[in-house]
Amino acid sequence: MATTTAAVTLTSDLLSDNISVSASSTLMKADTTADGLDMVDYGVIDIVTGDQFDLLDADNPSSSPIAGVMANKANKVYIANHATDETYYVTIMIDAQNVGRLYAGDWMFIPWGAEDANADIEITASTGTNKIEYALFHQGRTLDAS
Amino acid sequence: MATTTATITINSTDILSDELSLSTTATLTNAGGSTGLTDVSGLARKTVTGGHAQYTLFDGSDYTADKAHKLYLKNISTTASEFFLITVNAEDVGRLYAGDWALIPWSAHDNDCDIKIDPSANDMTLEYMLFIDE
Repeated sequence: MATTTAAVTLTSDLLSDNISVSASSTLMKADTTADGLDMVDYGVIDIVTGDQFDLLDADNPSSSPIAGVMANKANKVYIANHATDETYYVTIMIDAQNVGRLYAGDWMFIPWGAEDANADIEITASTGTNKIEYALFHQGRTLDAS
Repeated sequence: MATTTATITINSTDILSDELSLSTTATLTNAGGSTGLTDVSGLARKTVTGGHAQYTLFDGSDYTADKAHKLYLKNISTTASEFFLITVNAEDVGRLYAGDWALIPWSAHDNDCDIKIDPSANDMTLEYMLFIDE
């Protein structure tokens, strides 16, 4: 099995007492502590304004380089927006549901259920060109028959 | 101005032939600007004794829409099969299994855009903190 760890540190002086929260997890397959996620898709892509794109397609291997991921597992998605203009952002949606905005310099790390064929992770740039780094850690997917 | 940073580090020596090691730090600022986020819910824990059912963790109508809120979640369960199903409005985001954490951008896009949790078992505990963009 592969061993992949994801750690986060949050620090802030928002409160009188400083916030310092750290967490680390080993990315495991669903329902087990003995078998780590052993597949990854990792890339960088420019997202231009004007259209909504399927960054990660839940079940449509023909239309995405990353597709057909197994549903209702412990998949994890990392996305970072490497734009440098603070007014730039991308909107992240799942199956047309607005989740949130990833502004220039922001990153996210979320579980992704991909629970049905429509549960794509969709991305739309507000303005300009946003350089997006992304990684999907998963435990298997189907490929298109050629 | 408050300064809040979030750093992620992902490492693996064996998921690829080459070592995977990525790290990114974000300074959490307001939407479209460079002013640090000014409000935070504080770190909190909630134990859901009732088990499998959907509960509202954050109500979309309580927060300014289309902002740069960030939500930290951690499932502190140690039982591998236990997960929280995280949803926004009625759409599943994913399953947060035992020990897993997440940092989710949340736009609170409209009044229905609630963050909801659904534990898979009784007496599961979630740790959470919301950084708020007013």
